[in-house]
Amino acid sequence: MLDTYREVVTPEGVGLHLPAAGPVPRALAWGIDLAIRLGIVMVMAMFLALLGKVGQGLYLIVVFLVFWAYPIVLEAVWRGQTPGKKALGLRVVSGDGAPVGWLAAITRNLLRTVDMLPFGYAVGLVACLADPYARRLGDMVAGTLVVHAGREGGHVPAPVNTVFVPPAQLLPEEQGAIVAFGERAPQLTPSRQEELANLAQPITAAHGQAGVQRLYGMANWLLGRR
Amino acid sequence: MRQEQFVARHQAEWLAFESWLHARGENARRARRERNTGELTDEEVPARYRRICQHLALARRRGYSPMVVDRLQALMQGGHGVLYRTPPPRWQRAVRFLLAEFPRLVRSEAGCMWVAAAVFVFPLVLMFVLLQFRPELVYSIVSPEQVAMYERMYDPSDPGHALGRESGTDWQMFGHYIWNNISIGLKTFAGGLVAGIGALIVLVVNGIGIGTVFGHLQQIGYGDPLWRFVCGHAPFELTAIVLAGGAGLRLGLSLVAPGRQRRLDALAAAGKKGAKLCLGVAFMLLVAAFIEAFWSSTQSIPAAVKYSVSGVLWTLVAVWLGFAGRGVADED
Repeated sequence: MLDTYREVVTPEGVGLHLPAAGPVPRALAWGIDLAIRLGIVMVMAMFLALLGKVGQGLYLIVVFLVFWAYPIVLEAVWRGQTPGKKALGLRVVSGDGAPVGWLAAITRNLLRTVDMLPFGYAVGLVACLADPYARRLGDMVAGTLVVHAGREGGHVPAPVNTVFVPPAQLLPEEQGAIVAFGERAPQLTPSRQEELANLAQPITAAHGQAGVQRLYGMANWLLGRR
Repeated sequence: MRQEQFVARHQAEWLAFESWLHARGENARRARRERNTGELTDEEVPARYRRICQHLALARRRGYSPMVVDRLQALMQGGHGVLYRTPPPRWQRAVRFLLAEFPRLVRSEAGCMWVAAAVFVFPLVLMFVLLQFRPELVYSIVSPEQVAMYERMYDPSDPGHALGRESGTDWQMFGHYIWNNISIGLKTFAGGLVAGIGALIVLVVNGIGIGTVFGHLQQIGYGDPLWRFVCGHAPFELTAIVLAGGAGLRLGLSLVAPGRQRRLDALAAAGKKGAKLCLGVAFMLLVAAFIEAFWSSTQSIPAAVKYSVSGVLWTLVAVWLGFAGRGVADED
């Protein structure tokens, strides 16, 4: 299917849905991190330049830490997020959905060296596009996954206070789709609402705005408002 | 049961779990220090988490709206993250790793390590010996400017230079060695992912380069300052490069010949091992950088002392990698 969900069954026997993140948000997150890292290096260079040759040595140590340790430590300590990933709402998790550990963080970040080959993360991009869960080589070896984190959505009932009993028994997926329509349709334009409602014409037996109203009614009925 | 009744019945429970996750789930260390003031005690959490898993399963089965399912999913994922998180590292663990786990890891991959050592040492010795008989070969491998630079660095007739140093303080060189050498070590490992070829290339190139430069300096009679400079840090530095290469080979081998596993699983196992090996390699290179910056370049120490210290260090490394951690039980 087109969805990039990875489903992992937990020990409790329910499926954990991990929405894998594609290359574009990850590249943006990497860009933000790069800016932060360059900023750190430049600020440190200014201060350490005052210390002469000792400062130069310390500066190279800072470069080493920023280059190698920055992503490893932040991902391991900050629950799988560097500042860039946090800004883009991404998170590194291990393949079974648990938070990423130190070893996995080390492996995936050391192997960036390979993903960067031959230039500009080309290998990583190809791996990302070929893999169903958009993992680069480092992720595959470390057994990790970059997911979209923190999609919050409140529970809102359909806006129109009508109740309409569905003419036939609906399957669970159909019920889910109708309730989702009730909750999300107010965010769409009226013409798109009608377009979607027209797809459900066999159930609603109405066209255009009337179909939208009936779907709202059914959503309310399914939510238990009588 | 209708969705809204279901939500109304369990809402309080979910909110309590959510606030617990927020207050106590983020940081285990902080949670241990602080008192739990929420309505949910820490002991209740696993049971509550399983109830939420059950709610999620019910919500999915009954086709409740994606909003409700997503919310339960988020709660469950938060709980899963807390329950199954990897324990935070401890300092005690670090000592144990260096003294027992790392040497054992190296021995468990002895085959790869010996191959890496051979691939590194053979070109090194070959070039060294070859240059004693065909000195002009050095110019076909190292550029004339670099040859001149090395000759200047180890010129025994120039007392102004510290051993093997153009200029710069110990601290400056310490930073340089850390950035340069540890980066090379880590890249050697990572290069192994390309079917082991990257690691092999780094090993061979370094072997040829070191062998050529050393052979040339020895041949033109600059051997004394050279050996006095390199003998101190060589035990750690050369061994570490070989170990990084060995770890890289292991990684590449699991791609080429995964055995009775899927390639991905074999790679994941080798990657986990490789990460641990890299930690040890980085530590060894740190030690080497320290020795190289603050001991190797000290001119005032007589050659005899330097060579004996080098001997002691070689023995230490050999004993450490060969025998440390025998008979100690596995932690994980």
